[in-house]
Amino acid sequence: MIALFGEWVAVAPLILLAIAGLVMLLVDAFVEDHAQLALFSAAILGGTALVAWSLWDGAGTLPVTPLVSDFLATDRFALFGDITLCVGAALSCLLAGGYLREHKIERGEFYVLVVWSTFGAMALGRATDLLAVFVTLETLSLGTYALVAFRRHSPRSVEGAMKYFLLGSFASAILLFGAALLYGATVHTDFVGIRDALRSGDTGDGPTDMRLAILGIALVLIGLGFKVSAAPFHMWTPDAYEGANTPATTYMAVVVKTGALLVLVRIFFVAFGDEVVASEGSGWASAVAGLAAITLVVGNIAALVQKNVKRMLAYSSIAHAGFLLLGMAAAGQVEEGRLKTEALSAVLFYALSYTVSKVLAFGGLIAAGSHGKEAVTYEDLAGLGRRRPLVGAAFSLGVLSLMGFPPTAGFFGKYWVISATVDAGGWMVWLAVLAVLMSAVGAYYYLKVIVFLFMKQPEANAPVAVPMRSGYVMSALFIASYFVVFMGVAPASYVRLAQGASYQLAGLPDPNEVAAPGSSEDATEHDGEAGGEAGAGAVAAID
Amino acid sequence: MSSVQDTHGASVSPAAATSRAARIEILLAIGVAGIFLLWPSWAPPAPTNLLTLLLAVPALGALGVLFIPRQWTAVIRRFSLAVMVLELWISAWLFDGDFGTSAYQFAQDSAWIPSLGIRYAVGVDGISYWLVLLTTVITPIGLYVSFNSISTKVKEYAFSFLLLEVGMVGAFVALDLFLFYVFWELMLLPMYLIIGIWGGKDRIYAAVKFFIYTMTGGLLMLVAILYLVSQYHALSGEYSFALADMLRVQLTQVEQIWLFVAFAFAFAIKVPMFPVHTWLPDAHVQAPTGGSVILAAILLKFGCYGFLRFAMPLFPYASHLLGPTLAVFAVIGIIYGATNSWVQRDLKKLVAYSSVAHLGFVMLGIFSITGSGIEGAILQMVNHGVSTGALFILVGIIYERLHTRDLADYGGLATPMPIYATLFVIATMSSIGLPGLNGFVGEFMILSGSLASEELSVWQTMFALFATSGVILAAVYLLHAVLRMFWGPLDKKANERLPDINHREAIALAPLVFLMFWIGLFPNTLLASMRPSVADFISRYDAGWRESYAHDAQRLRPADAPSDAGTADDDVGATARAAQPEGPLGADHVLALAGGSK
Repeated sequence: MIALFGEWVAVAPLILLAIAGLVMLLVDAFVEDHAQLALFSAAILGGTALVAWSLWDGAGTLPVTPLVSDFLATDRFALFGDITLCVGAALSCLLAGGYLREHKIERGEFYVLVVWSTFGAMALGRATDLLAVFVTLETLSLGTYALVAFRRHSPRSVEGAMKYFLLGSFASAILLFGAALLYGATVHTDFVGIRDALRSGDTGDGPTDMRLAILGIALVLIGLGFKVSAAPFHMWTPDAYEGANTPATTYMAVVVKTGALLVLVRIFFVAFGDEVVASEGSGWASAVAGLAAITLVVGNIAALVQKNVKRMLAYSSIAHAGFLLLGMAAAGQVEEGRLKTEALSAVLFYALSYTVSKVLAFGGLIAAGSHGKEAVTYEDLAGLGRRRPLVGAAFSLGVLSLMGFPPTAGFFGKYWVISATVDAGGWMVWLAVLAVLMSAVGAYYYLKVIVFLFMKQPEANAPVAVPMRSGYVMSALFIASYFVVFMGVAPASYVRLAQGASYQLAGLPDPNEVAAPGSSEDATEHDGEAGGEAGAGAVAAID
Repeated sequence: MSSVQDTHGASVSPAAATSRAARIEILLAIGVAGIFLLWPSWAPPAPTNLLTLLLAVPALGALGVLFIPRQWTAVIRRFSLAVMVLELWISAWLFDGDFGTSAYQFAQDSAWIPSLGIRYAVGVDGISYWLVLLTTVITPIGLYVSFNSISTKVKEYAFSFLLLEVGMVGAFVALDLFLFYVFWELMLLPMYLIIGIWGGKDRIYAAVKFFIYTMTGGLLMLVAILYLVSQYHALSGEYSFALADMLRVQLTQVEQIWLFVAFAFAFAIKVPMFPVHTWLPDAHVQAPTGGSVILAAILLKFGCYGFLRFAMPLFPYASHLLGPTLAVFAVIGIIYGATNSWVQRDLKKLVAYSSVAHLGFVMLGIFSITGSGIEGAILQMVNHGVSTGALFILVGIIYERLHTRDLADYGGLATPMPIYATLFVIATMSSIGLPGLNGFVGEFMILSGSLASEELSVWQTMFALFATSGVILAAVYLLHAVLRMFWGPLDKKANERLPDINHREAIALAPLVFLMFWIGLFPNTLLASMRPSVADFISRYDAGWRESYAHDAQRLRPADAPSDAGTADDDVGATARAAQPEGPLGADHVLALAGGSK
């Protein structure tokens, strides 16, 4: 692959996706059957994930063109992000393949938007410069705004898109403002430069203005907190999720959230990764922990009272953002490099497990309805597990995984995040208690889905949802089920993947590779380059 | 084999077919029991991966059920039952284990998720041995009796039962805290479905309540487990969830108390102990007969087992401090359960509340920390499984005939259903604790243990006194129920021509009645194999809470080989407690215990 891409090999996934997006625009004009585009885009996205995976061993040491090396990272963290985002996007495309046809809103641009927006998300996960962050975030967001408004004759869809667009623009502006303040404080826009300026208190051009920097950090946190829908910046989420067509909702819930999470982690652990900035009482870790606590409580309690399943899943995605932030706060809170990195691995694993579980739950919801007979409320689901056991089983598996029921992917992710939180010690242990209590609250509304699927029968004369029949949707459900079960029963290989990503980000030797004699050379070489500096990571290696 | 009559019933005349089918089924049942008893002498020596086999058989069975078309209910029934019978036979291999030591038998240990120190570690010792056997005996019976009443969604039902068996066996044999937690939660879902799908009128409320209660407790326990693991990591530098490693962590007093509270909360919900028992009557009343049997006979035991296996050995100081308080709740539970039982009109609720009382006894025995008390508690867990399991089956039988559980609707049933009445009275007597039946041995040992208990400090007499009043109350409420059901005038028209129990019900009840007599007459067959493990438990517990916490900092105890500690010859006190007279239990026994404890 190096021969083919030369010094561009490190960003090969991005290039492939960009070309595929252009090709798809062209193909769209010629194909009759738009569902074929679903298959095509899913294949492209899946292929991109495979390409990213094939680069895994060489990550951090591959040649990289100077044109992008200042703006985009090429480490394993980025590759893990690629894989997660592509899996989520590919499954969303498969869901769309069945859904859009069934609901007669089938137009080819859906898939092009998904591909381009995923391109933005992947670039966002790689961004190592505040400018790149802004540009890629907008690439991601603009596509998503259009996806929400995709059903353009539906007022709810337009309302959701409008809300999302307006609030999203505010968030982008806040992020940009934060970036500007950071630039003012540190005279740098690249993460490593910001980190050095914050650490040494010297920008190379006069002293660092710490007050301005802290304000900038807060604004960046708010701007990105909006994108991962952390409370209290979550207001747009339920409306946009409900208004959008369900595949687009799935896409937003998994890809947009994960993309924003990736950049959040990279900014905070590379640019603001300095111990003093992160973990002192006034540091951002406490702020993130507070945000996580509010998000957990708001997400779960609000989901409890929903009557609409899609809104429930929207609030549940807020609750899961709380878990992701919780892991991040734990990572910020601890000073010891290995524990910090373990916490980051937990967050990454959680993001992947959340992606497949959420796809499964939304996929179940999609499969439960057909044109004009969509499943909206819990009552619509009554008795569905009896009428279509496969759909019922997949949907149940999805909500069980979201609930964190062993042995599913969601359980292992939740366990790991809580474990990291407890490891952080001190008052973080109480946050872990809060998190599990909120999980117990969550169990109630997830169980409600199973109650209606399997334990209730529809009322006489009540309109019932008629399950759709679509190979696309069923194959998406099957793939997601496979991941959900496999990541729960035998998580070891995914654990290694997540650890590989976060250890490289932290610039520590990967524990799994040190043990394996075959690849120890890579690890030591990398270790030497990064100098073992916490937070330096592959960014330093590239420099 | 359960549904022989389903297939033959149509062609031949019904009565003849039924009697022939009945003969076949009875012969099959005798065959199953015979092979079970002869298995250890027939079969080759137990494989070393016996416990994995015990987990794999129902798991593969559950998977297999999924591939049988749902219309083939007869096939599904026979298949699932055959899997459980196979599991039962395999579990007979457990008899091969050497329970003369406290070491774990059939132990297996291999990595599961190596980078996080999560292992697949299983083993049985004297504490879990009989509970595993109880599980493999009761589960097929629970499934078998269900076939009378469960006619819809048989496939899902069989699947749930097999999955439940995996969870139950797994949780009893897990020696890794993570593994234990996984199995602990895994049992929850099938039972939730069993109550929620096949239950009574308010089944969904009951099922959700059951699920949320247990899950909340379990999640708090998870945090406690993780805290423990995190401390172990801080002390030793490596991750591990293994029970043996966790036992080495010596925490500060405050930490122990918090963690013990978290564990105790999870287990107390499951037991259930007095203030957190409210899910139990709902779940029991709404569950189908098979579900009630499993719930009462096995699931509740996990609470008690969890205290013995995890909460108390891990946090000896805290459990020494809080144990007497929990014993008070246990005694409150005994009396509260009994009085509540007394006033119930609903027969099933009556039996459900009697579980609260009986498990109060078990908890009292455990917190007495005497050899007699703990052995009695383990025995009583088995007893309760047998006799309450039988009672729930009997309640199910009468409910299927009359579709009412109100005591006022019964009366004079001894006339139309003499065999049923006899069996009911035997089960009742076993539950009350009539000498010669199993309940007596367990309760007597618990009471004598608590009388001799040093752990309960100066109040042990009060504990024993109040608990004894619970025995009397048990006689009151159960005999009260027997009186209203079977004696008195047969004044309801509907009750006059009730059929007596049929062969299926007889097959389900026969092993339980046999066990009631067997345990009642030869309790030592069970007690002998518990003794070394219990003695080891006590000596470790005593050593644990007596350790100096003066400087109150965490440290790691040196690792020891668990098999060496089993004999505990150096600990005179423990040996004296453990060495119990082999003969009939009597006053000497109590005195020996009182003298033996320090």
